[in-house]
Amino acid sequence: MRALALTGGLVAVSALAAASAAAAQRPQQVVLPGPVPYPTDSPPLVGGGVLASAYIAPGLHIASTERVRVNVDGTGKPNAIHVRQQLTVKGKGDYQVAVSGPIEDVRRGPGSQSEPGFRADQLLWAGFSPGTKQLAADIALRVPPAAPYLPLRLHLTREDGGVTLRVTNATTTPVMSYEGVVRPTEIARLLDATRRSSLAGERVKAAFATFLGTVRVPKRPLQIEAPLRVQGELDLPGQEPVAFSRVLGDGQPLSFEVHAQGSGEPDLDLSASPAPVVHLLRPPGARTWAATIGRRPIPGAELLSRLIGARFRLVRTDQYQTFLADPDADGHSRAVYEYKTVAAHGPQHIAAPARDGGGSNALVIALVILGSLVVAAGGLFVWAHS
Amino acid sequence: MRRAILLLACVALLAAGCGKSSRASGGKIVIAVDVPVTGSPYVAQTIRNGVALAANSLNSGGGIIVGTHTYRLAVKLYDNHLSARQAVEDTRRALDAGAVAIVTDGTGVDATWQLADRDHVPICITYDGGTGLVDAAKRPNVFRIAPTNHGIAFRFAEYLIPKGLKVGLLHDDSAYGQEGAADLGRAFSGNPRSVALRMTLPLGATDLSPQILRARRSGATALLVWGQPPTIAAVVTAARSIGWDVPVYAPPTGADPFIRQQLADHPSWVDGLTFAAGRLTAEVGTGPFQSFESQYESAYGVDKVGVPTSDGSPVIEPPELAMYAYDFTHVLVAALTRAGSLDAGKVLAALNEVTTQGANGDERGFNRHNHDGVVDDDVYFARFHDMTYAPAKDDPLSSTLPVIPQTP
Repeated sequence: MRALALTGGLVAVSALAAASAAAAQRPQQVVLPGPVPYPTDSPPLVGGGVLASAYIAPGLHIASTERVRVNVDGTGKPNAIHVRQQLTVKGKGDYQVAVSGPIEDVRRGPGSQSEPGFRADQLLWAGFSPGTKQLAADIALRVPPAAPYLPLRLHLTREDGGVTLRVTNATTTPVMSYEGVVRPTEIARLLDATRRSSLAGERVKAAFATFLGTVRVPKRPLQIEAPLRVQGELDLPGQEPVAFSRVLGDGQPLSFEVHAQGSGEPDLDLSASPAPVVHLLRPPGARTWAATIGRRPIPGAELLSRLIGARFRLVRTDQYQTFLADPDADGHSRAVYEYKTVAAHGPQHIAAPARDGGGSNALVIALVILGSLVVAAGGLFVWAHS
Repeated sequence: MRRAILLLACVALLAAGCGKSSRASGGKIVIAVDVPVTGSPYVAQTIRNGVALAANSLNSGGGIIVGTHTYRLAVKLYDNHLSARQAVEDTRRALDAGAVAIVTDGTGVDATWQLADRDHVPICITYDGGTGLVDAAKRPNVFRIAPTNHGIAFRFAEYLIPKGLKVGLLHDDSAYGQEGAADLGRAFSGNPRSVALRMTLPLGATDLSPQILRARRSGATALLVWGQPPTIAAVVTAARSIGWDVPVYAPPTGADPFIRQQLADHPSWVDGLTFAAGRLTAEVGTGPFQSFESQYESAYGVDKVGVPTSDGSPVIEPPELAMYAYDFTHVLVAALTRAGSLDAGKVLAALNEVTTQGANGDERGFNRHNHDGVVDDDVYFARFHDMTYAPAKDDPLSSTLPVIPQTP
């Protein structure tokens, strides 16, 4: 799917490029990144099986708030992942929705006004909202399929006299960008609009830019990430905790290290949340990009590159606001990821999701066909030589 | 000749491997219906009719496909006489008959579920909303498609408490009444000031005047009566006889034709009686339910209440219970199809994973943590006027629901 998204983007851009070559220097409107599609399939997580049919009454909106709690072992590797997802239903009407993922178990969360249902890899909600309704579930996820989609990688290493924590933003992904001749004033205006949205915590809005002539696709894909605000404490017994607070991404380093002196088992408490793009959208020497280019010219290509990079990062940020899907695709979603060192309590029970029946039948049919072909080929051989 | 035979054999083999095979007939799949034919005939008949309607409809479409075979559904009726002992006996006989599921009003489930569970045979309750009857963890083979007492009690609390009423919580001494009282107690426990009194009424008493006078003296401004239909009729009679125009609320038994029959001489006494029930229509509107109702009436005729409206039209009862039984049969068939075999364990597991569209257009299904197919949110309130009822206008859900016609 991810490859498909990239290929789809490439095909669209290539078609655009061909069309624009034919159109010489004629201006054309080109879609800028965002708000969708996301550059990768997950998050939000996807489970096995087919989702139950969903229904959300017209006028109903569902916002999602997620707290993803990740227990990590002494090396920083996840050994348990739980999500508390709170859905706020606004409006009056029926809803019947399912949230997919590698779900091991589901329980009613605090404050929930309804009981969640649980099927293989599905969390179910069904009911009626009289105007507003709170739904909350505590969801245990199977670690192997969920862990690769966490936004951070942690590595705890012990050394003489202490422990070092390395925190890396794991949301980096390649995306297909594009280049061309643009009008700096228009791109400056789009940069200002994108910046306002980002600072307001809004989802990036759909936008177009005018390209003059050919639209080119750079050979090397652009690497983008969801900027993450990371803060926490690393603690060793009997020592003062070492506090940290950084933004990983948004033009700043994608990893950092923290060292704590002492001995014993490290105690880590870390929280990370998708952050707005601030640094990359800050206009140099003025309050707005429009004012900046009024003072000194900036090449259109540079402005465009900045705009596309920032918008892709905002899309990626939006993607990590839903580790588990918000059943309302247009809903407002927020996620925070909390990592804590907890010793593993034996292997986790992993319930394999039930699959649709018919696998054995398919095998039988395949064997019958294969057998028929072998016998038929043998028969034809005998016939040919008789 | 030898070549021709070999060629034909090869072609036949290829055809057998690649062609679309017709499915072999697997015979009959038995669904047992254990209901109080002689104890509560209206309930028994409508449940039985719901299962039979679904079975006949599926059979007329060629039966159901399970794995590589096609089966026809057969409905086997047992009469539990409202007796748990008889229900146990019926369950044994149904299991001996190879039933893949037992549909019941709920009589004796506390005693029968373990018997059925040994064979992994599901039991589905389509009437009794008793808390504790269904527990996905402890009773993995018990399912229900009917409003739960728990849901009804809590919906009543959220409906009545904001009205500022002082509610007299009355219940009769039947098992149904006592179970309901327990759920009402829990639902109103957070707001004890809303409760004027709690009182147990003797089931079968025709004159409840002393109790109703006591309720009036307690300062009650509303009565919520959780009991069998005769108890509700007796409460309404006692209150209206002394000129007390107190609003009376009831669980789903409030819709039982018996109450209207009892009060047929005083139709105005029925006016305002409000009961809770599972909604008959989904957000898609009345279309699906009316289509189901039309099928039901074509097959079995209308369920007459036995009273007329003020203009002389006979009142009919919408087939609510039949709808639940009908829906379970479809969910069961979806589970059989998904399991791909008659293996009882697989079918039981599949019941947690399938959804079908119910007769009212809503989705029906169960899940691993919840074997109740009617969610609490689907409980609505309806109020009588002129011997027919309509959704209440003073409840957010009920106010969105259309009126189901109850006259021909």
